[in-house]
Amino acid sequence: MTAPRGAGGPPEEGPANFRPGAWLQGTGPQSDIAICTRVRLARNLQGFAFAPSLEHEESERLFAYIVDRLKHPGLPEALKIIDLDPIEDLERSMLVERHIISRELASSERRTGVAVDEAESVAIMINEEDHLRTQVFDSGLQPDAVWQRIERLDDALMQRLPMAWSEEFGFLTSCPTNTGTGLRLSVMLHLPGLVWSEEIDKATNVAQKIHLAVRGLYGEGSRALGDFYQVSNQITLGREEGRIREDVMLAVGRIVQWEQEVREALLRGSARMKTLDRVHRALGTLERAQILSSEEALGCLSALRFGVHTGLVDGFDPKNVNRALLLSQPAHLQCYTRESLRSEERDQRRAQLLRELLGCTP
Amino acid sequence: MQYCTACQKAIATIVVMDLTEGSVSGSQHVCAACAEQLGLTPPKQQKFSSEMLEDLLGGLKDSKEQEAKRPPSLESCPGCGMSPNDFRQKGRLGCPRCYEAFRHELMPLLQRIHEAQSHSGRLPCVLPEADAATDDLGPDLTELRQRLEDAVRGELYEEAAQLRDELRRAERGETS
Repeated sequence: MTAPRGAGGPPEEGPANFRPGAWLQGTGPQSDIAICTRVRLARNLQGFAFAPSLEHEESERLFAYIVDRLKHPGLPEALKIIDLDPIEDLERSMLVERHIISRELASSERRTGVAVDEAESVAIMINEEDHLRTQVFDSGLQPDAVWQRIERLDDALMQRLPMAWSEEFGFLTSCPTNTGTGLRLSVMLHLPGLVWSEEIDKATNVAQKIHLAVRGLYGEGSRALGDFYQVSNQITLGREEGRIREDVMLAVGRIVQWEQEVREALLRGSARMKTLDRVHRALGTLERAQILSSEEALGCLSALRFGVHTGLVDGFDPKNVNRALLLSQPAHLQCYTRESLRSEERDQRRAQLLRELLGCTP
Repeated sequence: MQYCTACQKAIATIVVMDLTEGSVSGSQHVCAACAEQLGLTPPKQQKFSSEMLEDLLGGLKDSKEQEAKRPPSLESCPGCGMSPNDFRQKGRLGCPRCYEAFRHELMPLLQRIHEAQSHSGRLPCVLPEADAATDDLGPDLTELRQRLEDAVRGELYEEAAQLRDELRRAERGETS
């Protein structure tokens, strides 16, 4: 096969909305297992109550103040401000699916917004649980690159906004789980090997033992759909940023290596046929199924992704598999088909869309 | 050799010195019996005790012992009006000033979550606005308090008195 299948799908020439953000590019170190690295800093302004305690009018005033300061020239990032007030629920959900905003921000009654760059690699949420939640994403395992970028942005933000802090407690945040550095470093990992060989609990225990959190695709409280796991630090106080990075990378490094070893084992001897069967069943479903729930689609795409990266199937561009992961999510699917759909209609459209995206014959 | 300044009969065996701002401002030579009568003798075989430290600290409220004894917060936060009950139920703070208002409840919570109670890492470069924030919470006197405690334990009373005065000045916001 010469041209990778799925390369001719509609999103490339479709609306800009369909381009996956920096975190789904499928590039960067160890991107076969580490989907993306994300870092966020929680910051609050002096002289205001924390966002959940703000009266609506106060949140309006704070929002306007922050937006004004962000527009002031000299920030190291070119950011566009999205005011979430006039934005419909569907579009908000799309921003959640793209990891630009959190579920909490999408459903907030407060005056909220987000400042985001063109490549969707930087996003500053305004009036989430904290006044500012600055995030930087990059594809693959990139802890140093994301840290350097967010540090520069944070410096610039501190120059223009008076942040709440004390020498004793560091940065003061709404929830004591973020006090101190306000730093959360998380790596999204694709771990089908560990799930299939039933080693995943042991692997997540490694992380939990050193006080790291292991969560699902959409963070706190979400399930590990499609064998995607996020590993992040929980401790933010009493440890310097560099130490937090080392802790997270230590556990992530071990889990990535473990996944690699398990993948090799799944491709050897008697295990190989079972693995091949699993991947091809998933591909068969993607190629032929007429009704696909979001959960089933994620499961099949996970197996396909495993097959592509281990060389069990060829002809698929990993970037397109990543894109299919995003576009099969409910909000993106509805935006793509340009209509609001009932659940069973969505499942039919999802099956159709995935066939198109992956270049499978209908 | 000197006679007791109280009874003028017995030989003085104890010298009581008054220290002000770290230097000797007066002294009294007394015998053991008079000293006991006047309440000037330390208990026999005296060792360091927390009461002694408290006496020495004389009104310095933030020693570790006293902090542990401090009653739970009863007042609402002066910054945002959040009540201690609200904080206990939600586990969230209402505003930056809640960190001081609910300190008693917050410290064990931070210890449980982070296995630490104080920050280490990045802070804003010193900005005028940022200065105001630290003033609210007071300067960091932890080291001074620790040195004072060490001096008392080591029975280095002259040094302890100096440190106590230094600490008082620092708490009043004076520079030494």
